Amino acid sequence: MAASLVRFVRGGLGRGFNIARSSCLLQQQTRLQSSTTEASATIRPKDAVTHNQLAAFGEYVAEIMPKYIQQVQVTCYNELEVMIHPDGVIPVLTFLRDHTNAQFRNMIDQTAVDIPTRQNRFEIVYNLLSLRYNSRIRVKTYTDELTPVDSAVPVHKAANWYEREIWDMFGVFFANHPDLRRILTDYGFEGHPFRKDFPLSGYVEVRYDDEVKRVVAEPVELSQEFRKFDLNTPWEVFPAHREPKDAAPKLEAGDKAPEKK
Amino acid sequence: MAGLLKKTTGLVGLAVSQNPHERLRVLYSKILASVQTMPQDAAYRKYTEQLVNQRLDFVKTEPDVEKLEKKINSGQIEEVIFQAECELSLSRKMSEWKPWEPLIEEPPPNQWKWPI
Repeated sequence: MAASLVRFVRGGLGRGFNIARSSCLLQQQTRLQSSTTEASATIRPKDAVTHNQLAAFGEYVAEIMPKYIQQVQVTCYNELEVMIHPDGVIPVLTFLRDHTNAQFRNMIDQTAVDIPTRQNRFEIVYNLLSLRYNSRIRVKTYTDELTPVDSAVPVHKAANWYEREIWDMFGVFFANHPDLRRILTDYGFEGHPFRKDFPLSGYVEVRYDDEVKRVVAEPVELSQEFRKFDLNTPWEVFPAHREPKDAAPKLEAGDKAPEKK
Repeated sequence: MAGLLKKTTGLVGLAVSQNPHERLRVLYSKILASVQTMPQDAAYRKYTEQLVNQRLDFVKTEPDVEKLEKKINSGQIEEVIFQAECELSLSRKMSEWKPWEPLIEEPPPNQWKWPI
């Protein structure tokens, strides 16, 4: 069982490597096209040392906490990303804070991403900084509208207002948060404005009414109810992320890898 | 001795330690004892034992504080003590969480696929 787990983690890492590899392929192509020498100012230089260090550290973390870590990847901009199960928020963040080889004591940012097509539409993202080793890490987890996520406040004090902001803007509920209430929107505001299904114009507009001598809120009335923009381009936008025509079947734990010729 | 020469660590909230060797030895032996309760093949146990044993060796062999700081290479000795305290509390929590067990739940399909 342990072996299959490690391989799964490697698979995750491999995916990360794939991204890096495809990006370097891209770089090579552009290099061929422009036919310049290696020191071109427009091409991001590859930093293999940092990349390997981050990959090694990611593998280290994944090996220590296989219970919570689903995938580890290093992006093409040399950022380490750790994808975890929502139950593992407190253990993983505490481990990253307290372990001598990690020491990610500062929470730089915590935010959410709304992707409505997914089964768990919200991604919660934690950005951490280790002053001792001068390195950063990004921890990602997921949730939906109803499932509460464990609050990170017992681990990082800085998470308090970030989680209030996420609650306000996305409506993600954090369990065991000391003071979860609105932080940015107005009193009496309804809805969560950063959700993708929240209309750009909002639901109500406020104006000062001279007759009742106060600010009143009224439902928005637009002359044009809805306009559909066609934003699709005829060009392929992400050639590097093209889906393979026939994806290789996923290996089960017992199967042998097909031999390559 | 360190207390006589060194007035401050220069870090807020971190006082100069009077007997760093004694303190480190106690902390490291506590960490080792707490890690002993984990299963043999747990990666956390393996790596932490390795790290703590290495530092404990330095503490035992090097009586001079400044040289010890250089050998450990992790900041001032007070910071090393703080790291050891954190590691101790972490190791106790880890034996509750048991993170060496297999993954509790696979992610839903396409959860980590980007672009969608």
